[in-house]
Order: sequence, then structure tokens, then C-alpha cells
Amino acid sequence: MIRSRYVAIIAPLGFIFLGVMILLAIPQTRPVVEGFLNGAFGGRNHFNLFSTLARFSILLGMAMSVLVSFRAGLLNIGGEGQLVLGGLTAALVGVYLPGPPLYVSVVALLAAMTAGASWAVLAGLLDRVAKVPLLIGSLLLNYPASYLASYFVSHPFRDVASGATQTHRIMTEARLPRFPGTILDYGILLIGATAILVIALEKTSVFGYRVRMQGYSYGFARTSGFPTGALYYRTLIISGMIAGMTGYTAVFGLNQRYIDGMLTIPLYTWTAIAAVLLAAIIPLITPVTAFFFAMLATGAVGMERSADIPREIGQIVQAVIVLYLAGVGGKMLSGGTKEDH
Amino acid sequence: MQIENQVQPAVCRLNGISKSFGDIQALRDVTFEVRKGEFLAIVGENGAGKSTAMGVLFGLLEPDAGHITFAGERRKLKSARDAIDAGFGMVHQHFKLYPDLTVLENVLVGYEGANGFGLVPFQERRKAVASLIREFEFTLDLDRKISDMPVDARQQVEIVKMLFRGASVVILDEPTAVLTPQECVTLYAMLKRLCAQGKSVVLITHKLGEVMDHSERVLVMRHGALVAERKTSETDQGELAELMVGRQIETVEKISRIQPQVVASLQGVSVQSGSDKPRLDRVSIELRAGEIFGVAGVTGNGQKELVNAVMGLEKNAAGQIIFQGRDIGGLTVAERRQIGIGYMAEDRMTIGLAARGTIAENLIAGREGSSPKGAVREGHSGFSSYGFLHWRQIRDHAQRLVKNYDIRTPSAMQRVGNLSGGNQQKVVVARELSAAPKLLVVENPCWGVDVGAISFIHRQILQLAETGAAILLISNDLEELFELSDRVGVMFEGRMNRVFDRSELDAFAVGAAMSGDEEQRP
Repeated sequence: MIRSRYVAIIAPLGFIFLGVMILLAIPQTRPVVEGFLNGAFGGRNHFNLFSTLARFSILLGMAMSVLVSFRAGLLNIGGEGQLVLGGLTAALVGVYLPGPPLYVSVVALLAAMTAGASWAVLAGLLDRVAKVPLLIGSLLLNYPASYLASYFVSHPFRDVASGATQTHRIMTEARLPRFPGTILDYGILLIGATAILVIALEKTSVFGYRVRMQGYSYGFARTSGFPTGALYYRTLIISGMIAGMTGYTAVFGLNQRYIDGMLTIPLYTWTAIAAVLLAAIIPLITPVTAFFFAMLATGAVGMERSADIPREIGQIVQAVIVLYLAGVGGKMLSGGTKEDH
Repeated sequence: MQIENQVQPAVCRLNGISKSFGDIQALRDVTFEVRKGEFLAIVGENGAGKSTAMGVLFGLLEPDAGHITFAGERRKLKSARDAIDAGFGMVHQHFKLYPDLTVLENVLVGYEGANGFGLVPFQERRKAVASLIREFEFTLDLDRKISDMPVDARQQVEIVKMLFRGASVVILDEPTAVLTPQECVTLYAMLKRLCAQGKSVVLITHKLGEVMDHSERVLVMRHGALVAERKTSETDQGELAELMVGRQIETVEKISRIQPQVVASLQGVSVQSGSDKPRLDRVSIELRAGEIFGVAGVTGNGQKELVNAVMGLEKNAAGQIIFQGRDIGGLTVAERRQIGIGYMAEDRMTIGLAARGTIAENLIAGREGSSPKGAVREGHSGFSSYGFLHWRQIRDHAQRLVKNYDIRTPSAMQRVGNLSGGNQQKVVVARELSAAPKLLVVENPCWGVDVGAISFIHRQILQLAETGAAILLISNDLEELFELSDRVGVMFEGRMNRVFDRSELDAFAVGAAMSGDEEQRP
């Protein structure tokens, strides 16, 4: 058992390492690797590194949201809907709420978290009350959320003058400030702090303990006298809140407004799910895998520029990893998905 | 019957079979033969390699070394189908039948004998099955649905299925686990008829009493190796047990110290089901301090519901449950655990334990919350405060219990899933007993546990009773119930059919009550 698990992790890493070595050894293919590394970390004033970090920030936020659910054995894959509604809510509050900038910013954050949490709880209610499995309910709720957002930004709240389907800009003073000379905003601090909190509390709090054990076995949690219902909803609320908050940072930081598709087209949530699975749902490893996927995406863009390799290759690699996980990681996850309520 | 000293020819022979899973060698150079018309028993503890040997014999596992011969001919078994074609039939502990199909349909599955148009000649096949049933004197209605049939009849269907497929060797894995004593007698009579007609029967079990009563030859396995072969007439139960374990087993002695005060009483506890009969029907029992109340019954006669009602896992329980003078009907599982009710669940891999959690994590479950004032028990300063865990205390607690309960593990931070069955159960025992419960509900505590651990677990349960706790022991193993219980209640169709005092315990009387016999006590 243990041996095969190590093999499952080490064998593909070995192949990747070998592949990179071969690419570096051949003069004609060397630019591919260089382009990838430059795309992920280089650029003028390390511009690309900061775009990797900006992407990492959102991926990390979503990975934490996914992690909280998966660790509890709840297959909430509705992060996308929760993220979109969080972002949309933040944008609407940011654009239309009058008041001092700090006040607007804080209200927008709280509203975004509430929106994300509500959407997650809705999926939970569908599961517990209407018996629609969480996996399906949370997935399906992604669609109304993203179409609702599309409608809002293309009709009632559209910035018509800009020509694009997007809201107006959030007032400058309320935006998340950027690190000087970069496109990276302070949102990464908020998300980083959240990640540290999630990872630390998972191990040290009674709540984290109960959630983990419930994720291992629902029947065990029930007979041990854990408040299983409360744990279920609280987990979803936390998961949804983190997704909503991530939406807020993207809107108030990265894009400074809500643009149609800005949270769905880059496949943040699905990449985050892959990151969590690649980390075998171990909290401490999740940031590493999230960074890996962020790097893969920006590196692929660099590779396209320098070596003329389409950036879609990056996504194909990601898809291969996910497929691999579906085979190997499925076994790691299977114990955690058993639910009998 | 066989005549002494006349050895029948071998039907099949395993030659030097070895098989490993990773680092674990499950079978070590195992060689034995099954002779025509004999009743062979294979005994051994859990993990001794019995199931692996049968898996090899039945084509489910490929051996690393060695080979199997059939009537002197070497044969490679690549699948169950090969094994069936070679003449093996296996009756698994959990029947592999389709509940919604009839007896005939179940027997025919996979061997329908369909013609060129894909149609099954039912008339013809029915005649064949019916004549087989007559030949071996079974009593089965071919058109009955499996789901309407009792367990013993289902087992017969499995055997008929094997015979219909032309099995000359019938392998049975723990066949009596689900049967009442009366049904066991019928089963063994039937198996002996098979032997008389030239079929070989291989019985895999850990019930040595049955082995002594019915088999002709016994093979003992230990740690993957065949350690002994005995003629049943030339051995005894004690020797077999010793061979199985490799050392002498201490017997557990029961001292009853029942005190007058009632710890818990159930009054007319019922659990309704959707429409028909209630799943638990007005059960009333009183448990005194120091008493072990055993609950016997064929699985599915309300035992689960009884446990769930006591533990608060059943929301629709009616009637009163009084614990230490207090009606606990409205309390949650957590509250019941807090006031001193413990629970050792039967299904330890998913209910009793969280297999992927560590030993330490499993040992604090139910007591991880901040203890309310005054409820802090001796030796435990609480495993958390203000919502944060005290890892030091948790680790110390785990290390202490690992030592006290002899849990064999490299460390207390080991995953529970990596332990052997016996050690896993010790983790459950340690958790529940270290909470010093006043009432402990125990379900099949020794299911899938090796012999050495069984006596340890039994001793722990008896010791807890001696300290004045009441114990509700639900078990499918009558031997265990008789050994430990002060009284045994028999459940049938949700009712507590009869209650026997320790002095009146008799396997046949209990067996009769298990199958619904409602004879009142004088």
C-alpha cells in the first residue's frame, strides 16, 4: 500500500524531471524551457513572476475553499458559482454603495463572503432537505450563478460607455492597493492569511479535528456524538465565504471591476480542485500545488512567446495531471467521500 | 462413510503455493490436497492465510510460486470461471445472490444454456435443477424470490448453484455465522450427504466445535503456513486452538457481581418502520450494575435498532429509556456519551473508528470537546479548551492507552487503518473503557479479531462489569454470549422473544427462540 503510493507520486515526478533534462540537453529545445521559466518568473522587473503570483493568489483562495469542503468529505464543487457571486456582489457594492472608501471596501468584502456562503448553503440544503447529492447540486448551481452574473453585467449594471460587458470601475480609493511597481495587489495578503488560518486551525482546533474525522467517516462522527448537521453547514459556510472573499480580491484588486467571464474563463475553481487533489487533500501541501498550477499557466504563455508552442499545451498538461489523479488520487479520496445520510 | 485407512484419491492438490502482497507473505509454501468425498476443515486465525489460499484455489489470486493440479494434471486458474469449470464451487460468507430473482433464475445466472437465438430453454433447465434438488434432498421452491427467503434457504440456493455448475469440491467460508444452531445441524447433515455422494467439502471456519463435530480431516494454518494436519478423530479442540495461535490460550473466567441498583431500563422501546411490522417492538429490559445482558438473534431482527435507540442514533424511537433515574429519550448522542454511556460499534472500519485517522485522534473521539465544569474525569485534564486541542495531552493519553491496552503499533500517531483487526478493536476498547462508562453497548466485539485478542477483549469487558458498569452485549456468536452474559435475551422480528438466565442457557433453547419459538418460561 505505502510503497505503491510513493511510486504513484515519485514515478511521474521522475518522468517530468527526465523530460525537462532532455529538453535542456538538446540545444534546439532549450529555449522551450527557458521560455517557460521566463514566462513564469522572469520579464522586466520580474513582471511575469508577479502575474504568476496574482494568479496564484486566486488559485490559493479557491484551493482553500475546496480544501475545507473536501477535508470534511463534502464534495462541494460549486466553488465557481460561489466565487462568481462573491465577485459580482463585491463589484456592485463597490460601484454603487456611497460612503467612505474603507467603509465601502469592508462592506463589499462582507457582502461577497455572505453571497458565497449563501450559495454554498443552498447546495447544502438541496442535499440534506431535497436529497440532491451535494456533488450534483453544487455543480449545477454554478450555472445559474454565472449566467446571472453575465446578465447583470451585460444589462442592468453594464458600463455601456466602455463597450465591454463589464461593470463600472470601483472608486480608486476603495481598491486593494498594489505592491509598488507591480500588478500584484494586497489581496494576496488577505488570502495568504486565510490560508495560514485554515491550515493552522485544521490541525489545532476542535472544529478542525471534528471536520477531519467526519471527512474520514460520517458514521464514525455520528456515533462519536459530533454535531454532524452543524459541522456540515458550518463547513459549507466557511468554504463559501472563502470563495466569496476570493471573488472580492479579484474584483477589488486584479481587475478593479467585474468583467464578464473574468472568474470563469481562467478555470480558477477547477484548477483549484486539481491542486487540492494533487496535494492529496493535505492542507500543508495545497499551497505548493496551487503555485505549481499557477506557474504552469503563466509559464505556458511565456513558452508560446519564445518557442511558438501554443499555450494550450499548458492546459493539456494540467488535464493529463487531472486524469492521472482521477485514477490514482481517486483511491486516496474515496474513503473521504463516503456519506450515508 | 469412509472405511478407516483407506485414502481416497485426491481431487486436487496445491503444490508449494506462495503468495505475497507487498512485504507481507500471505502464503508460504503451502501444500495440501483435497480428497474425493472427504469433509476437510481449514482452521486458522484471521490473517493466517485461509482466505488467500481459497482465493488461489478459486482463481481469484495468482500464486507467486507453486501450482495446482487437478486429477494429477497441472492447471492454471486465471479466473473464477476457470475454477468453476475445474469443478470448484465457493459459498461465500456474504451470499452472492440477486434478491429480486427467483431461486431458479439465481441458479441459472451465468449458466443459462441459451440457444442460438439467445433464448433460455427454461423448461429444460428447470427440470435439470429440480432433479438436482431432489438428488441431494434439498427443500427449495424454484419460483420463490430470494428476498422472501430465510437465510438458511438462501445458503442452500448457493450450494445448489455450485452443484448445478458441476462442482465436485464445495468450499464454504464461515457458513454458520448467520445460522441458528438448528439450522447448523441441517446444514451439516446436508453437507455430509454431499460427501456421501462423492463430492468433497472444504469448510473454512474458526469455530472449532463445529470442526470437531463434523469434519474428517483438519488443516491448521498460521502466519501463512500450513502448520499441522490432523485426523479429526485424533485431535481435540484444545490442541487445535493451540496450533492456531502457536501458544496456550488463557481461558477467561467470569465472576458475576450483580448489584441491586438498576443502571438503565428500557420500557416498551419501539422503532416504527414505514408500513408493516415495527422494526423494534416494545422491548423492555432492566440492566443492573455489574450485569452483562446478552442479546442473541439472527442478524436483522431488531438488534441494530435496539442499539441505535439506546445510543440516540435512532430519531424515531418510542417508549422510555431511563438511565440512572433519568429519562434520556431527548438527549443527543454526545449528551448520552457525556453522562456515561459508551458504545463499541460492530463495524469498526467505518463506524467504530475513522480508519484514516491516527490512533491518537481516534482515542479522543467523543471527548474532544472542552469538558464542562466538574465533569473532568480523573486522569484527564481535558483534551481541549476554548476550542483548541491540547496535543500534548492527546499524545500522552494515546501513549498511555497504547501501553495499557497492549495495542501493537510502532507509534500512537500511526493510522488506525494500518493496524491489524485485533489491534484496531483494541483501540475501540481502549477508547470506550478509558471513558469509564456506566453503561456500555457492545456489538460483536470479536468479529474479525484473532484468537489472542479475543480473550483480551473478553477479559476487559468482564472487568468493566466487575467495577459496576452495566453492559448490553449484542453478538452473533452464541459461545461468546454464553461465556460472558448473566442473562441472554433473544430477539426475533423486533421483539425480545425470550430471556434466559445464565443457568438456563442452552444452545438449542436459544436457537429455538431465535427462530421465533415463543415458548413461555415456566
